[in-house]
Amino acid sequence: MLTHLIILLDDTSTSYCHYEVTKAERRLIGIDDLKVGIRFAMKENLNVQFVFPDYKLPVEYLKAIDSIDHAKVMPSTCCDEADVVVLGGWDDEVLQGSTCIIRTNHDGLANHLSVVREWLNTINRLNVVLTDVETFKDDDVDSYRNTLESLTGMIVECYKSGKFIQLNLLTDRLRLTGMNNCNAGMSNITLAPNGCFYLCPAYYYENEADSVGDLKVGLVIRNQQLLRLDHAPLCRQCDAYQCKRCIWQNLHLTLDANTPSHQQCVVAHLERNASRSLLAKLKDNAITLHGGYEIEEIDYLDPFNNMNKWK
Amino acid sequence: MIEVKDNTRQWQDGTSKNITFIVTKDCQLACKYCYLVGKNTKERMTWDVAKNAIDYILTNENEYREDSVVWDFIGGEPFLEIDLIDKICDYLKTEMYRRNHHWFNSYRFSFSTNGINYHEDKVQQFIKKNHNHLSIGITIDGTELKHDLNRVYKHSEKGSYKDVVRNIPLWLEQFPGAATKVTISSPDIPYIKESVLHLYDLGIKEVNINCVFEDVWKEGDDALFEEQLTELADAIIDMDLYCDHVCSFYAEFIGKPMDIERDNQNWCGAGKMLAVDAAGNFYPCTRFAQYSLRSKPAWIIGNIHDGIDQNKLRPFLMLDRTTQSTLECIDCEVASGCAWCQGENYDAADTHTIYQRATAICKMHKARVRANNYYWNKLFRKLEMEDQQEEFERQKAKVKGTIC
Repeated sequence: MLTHLIILLDDTSTSYCHYEVTKAERRLIGIDDLKVGIRFAMKENLNVQFVFPDYKLPVEYLKAIDSIDHAKVMPSTCCDEADVVVLGGWDDEVLQGSTCIIRTNHDGLANHLSVVREWLNTINRLNVVLTDVETFKDDDVDSYRNTLESLTGMIVECYKSGKFIQLNLLTDRLRLTGMNNCNAGMSNITLAPNGCFYLCPAYYYENEADSVGDLKVGLVIRNQQLLRLDHAPLCRQCDAYQCKRCIWQNLHLTLDANTPSHQQCVVAHLERNASRSLLAKLKDNAITLHGGYEIEEIDYLDPFNNMNKWK
Repeated sequence: MIEVKDNTRQWQDGTSKNITFIVTKDCQLACKYCYLVGKNTKERMTWDVAKNAIDYILTNENEYREDSVVWDFIGGEPFLEIDLIDKICDYLKTEMYRRNHHWFNSYRFSFSTNGINYHEDKVQQFIKKNHNHLSIGITIDGTELKHDLNRVYKHSEKGSYKDVVRNIPLWLEQFPGAATKVTISSPDIPYIKESVLHLYDLGIKEVNINCVFEDVWKEGDDALFEEQLTELADAIIDMDLYCDHVCSFYAEFIGKPMDIERDNQNWCGAGKMLAVDAAGNFYPCTRFAQYSLRSKPAWIIGNIHDGIDQNKLRPFLMLDRTTQSTLECIDCEVASGCAWCQGENYDAADTHTIYQRATAICKMHKARVRANNYYWNKLFRKLEMEDQQEEFERQKAKVKGTIC
């Protein structure tokens, strides 16, 4: 069921996920398209998330945006009243109690653990978006595992001091009992500055022709059932519930939106296993989560390699 | 008790790896139903490409653990490249022996040919040299009228029947149990009965027939198809041909509902097979090469230099019946035996996916099921095998898990 509408306000709106913003020229969404998009969200009962560029918008845009309850995703260089701040780099200042996103490769994360430690003590939630999942190699497994292990130590320290920090890579999985994926095209859809809908911003920046309808004809999502978990034979067997299950990366690497790549599975399972380790450490420190959550021990990183047990 | 001849099982069915060399995309014919939309005279495999492909496959023995291998050669028309094929087969034999490969002495060379140059010296020498390891299927569509309706020369549009039928006696002499493959498209339907009987007259005892999977069917085709298959059933039974002849239209397992969990296997072997073309690209089956595809880009899973990209094989190896089927197909009362081609599914799909089952064949399958029921009811009655008939009736009402 569709619950969220993401509106890219400009071609240069900040990226908050795996994709790169491939457009350098500013192009604001037409004010009429913005208003129609907002009306669409109201009629469909959708929560709206506006994605901002790094400059101040005209007053009439701000007025239109304020006509609906919403969340603002903004770049750190221009983030007044942001609900979510996309950090531009490791030198960025973070605000007390904020929710932040950092886009980095796994080496970048490993090399800036001290910065992450500071951030975790300041903000409420940090989403780390790895930008190199597609090129993640089996040789990278140990280093990413070590990075995650270091992060579990930091989180335990936060919890011990009474600060229940959220770090998407590790804490989301702690309380999940079912898949909590991106669900692009299923629970959320993106309206781009050209007035067309896309499964997610990545599709817009990769190829504008890949739209799934527009404000005039509405949504036309072909083979939408293949975006659902029950139509993903590998994912529906999996318990790396925090995985983004990115259909855009799937299409790149496996050529089919419902099948994840080896890389995505391995990264998600390293995080899942680190969450398990975190859960154990919390218990060792007498910190228990309400609900008695457990994460089973498994002996694989890619459920594809475990296929014979269930297929 | 009278024995009813059953379909011949493929060599090492289910335990062999099928590896296809697309040695050429050229053919003497331009068959009107041919799914190969990109045939051309330019894309001929070189020896270098073939050798590199073989070296890659044999070097990576651990990736290919099947007990046996079928080295398949297709085109276009494969025998147009008999010199290359001969060299490939010699090299394969030598290398499998030299490497002490587990496929040595457990291999076949397989060909689907239009049969036009079957009699030529080079082809015959090749057959003599490799006879014990050969499977050759010549495609002949039935009577001259039916055959020439579709199987015509590419420039003159002249029918090819006479040039094929002259080689049938030699072929059957060399391969007595050989089967032929017949393809049915909309214009062929009125000729099905006479064509199958004609092929039996030619001495071919196994006729494997398929309707094309493409969306070519017209209003009323299913009724005509059912009528032809019913009349053919009468002929086969009345003339006692069922004892030593096979027509793949009739099979006991088809036309039953299928269990959503127990009968959830994929029909097609795409992804478990491997095909390589003149450019040295690997495909999950030949139907995913560009010359086979009308409206989608080729699905390349690697090449002879970089090897296989396992990510691009994952969707194929995860396929099951229900995930790619519509609810109507899943709930279908006569689902068993309803086939699909993964390549056609991909080509006809609304998005870039192999998980959308094409259903153009639906009404033809249902017509086949009705004729098939008629065939077995009539046959069992004739044989006075009431016990077996009762069993057959019981099977109709319950799920049966056989997928061929």
